[in-house]
Amino acid sequence: MRLSNDQTTLRSEFADDPDMVGIVALFIHELPQRLAAMHVAIAAADRDQLRMLAHQLKGAAGGYGFPKLGEAAALVDQAVRAGNDDNVIRSRVGMLAAVAARIRP
Amino acid sequence: MWLAPVRQVSSNYDCSYPHMTALPSNLPKVLAIDDSVLIHRLLQVRLQHEQIQLFGATSAEVGIKMARELRPDVVLLDIELDLKNQGMDGFGVLQVFKADPDLQEVSVIFISATATMEERVRALDMGASDFVAKPFEIVELQARVRSALRVQHLVKMLAQKAQVDGLTGLWNRTYFDRRLTQEVGEAIRHNRSLSLVMCDVDGFKKLNDERGHPFGDKVLERLARILQTGRGSDIACRYGGEEFGIILPNTVGSEAIEVADRYRRTIEQEVWPSVPGMVITASFGVADVFVLPGTPTTEDFIATADAALYRAKLNGRNRVEAAVAVQLPG
Repeated sequence: MRLSNDQTTLRSEFADDPDMVGIVALFIHELPQRLAAMHVAIAAADRDQLRMLAHQLKGAAGGYGFPKLGEAAALVDQAVRAGNDDNVIRSRVGMLAAVAARIRP
Repeated sequence: MWLAPVRQVSSNYDCSYPHMTALPSNLPKVLAIDDSVLIHRLLQVRLQHEQIQLFGATSAEVGIKMARELRPDVVLLDIELDLKNQGMDGFGVLQVFKADPDLQEVSVIFISATATMEERVRALDMGASDFVAKPFEIVELQARVRSALRVQHLVKMLAQKAQVDGLTGLWNRTYFDRRLTQEVGEAIRHNRSLSLVMCDVDGFKKLNDERGHPFGDKVLERLARILQTGRGSDIACRYGGEEFGIILPNTVGSEAIEVADRYRRTIEQEVWPSVPGMVITASFGVADVFVLPGTPTTEDFIATADAALYRAKLNGRNRVEAAVAVQLPG
């Protein structure tokens, strides 16, 4: 997986769906907060909280038209579940953040 | 704060939940139970064009409470509920539903982002009716919800059919027995009054013999319609043959006698155009649940009303006899 090297812009698959415009914008707007909450959870060694955050993103991102974001969140979820050490977790959250950074409204 | 997009999202969940019963709608109800607000927003948008009312709960506890209140037709249930607190998951919620007679028949569609094949099989074996993987394929999700609603509609229709008498359209004996037992329990628990009226058409066998069965059927249909003109709370049932049972919740014996006598007079005055001058009558037996000694049973209650009906027949028919509470001397 070379998610972090890819710099192309990501737009929601549903960017042109009038029904979806509102909640996609809200999703993008809230994304930095969700990532920040993950960093807080790592710092606090709160693995349950981190898993929940990653799991929710994994389940929902695809629905908002960002499957790549969902895949990156799944890798975080997987690492937490496997009990990987902080370095692995941080690196995967970093990859997730890199995908998130490519998202444009 | 970002407000604009939220407006288009319906507010039928969690915090606004006490208001939802005010919604005047016959649309089927779908309840989504998922701990992620992202999923709720998505469902609200993706199911907004379906002919349903969508409700949402973000925890197992609230979900169960809402299900009991709402009696939804379909529940969308997340398997990995409450990952963080290791609380009740979707399987736990399904178990609660299956143990609750009021919720047993609800169609449950499991939604999950991670479920293994074993978990999916377990969900279906436990009585879930379907399974949708997250992220949703929208068209598939909509189709699965519609399919669950269709099944639910048929289940309800069959359940209703099985309780309605084919000839008269009144509730049938099965329903009567179940409902009366329920009402007797309620009356005892809440110390509420309850009366039962049994009604039997006078000389029905002779009528059938002389005029033929099609005419007898017509008489039963007409009488059934009269017995449905009572107060909204009265529950008229066909007990069997030419006998009807009317359950009167929150009604004391003296009121029930008046109700029965009103029916008696209406039946007596009914005009039968195909047989000019003919008068058809019925006899009535009334019982008040508190006339029974000790803890009344459904069987005793029916037997008491039936005994009163029998007295009405013996005492000349076309009359009301009653077993109601009497003041004991002293």
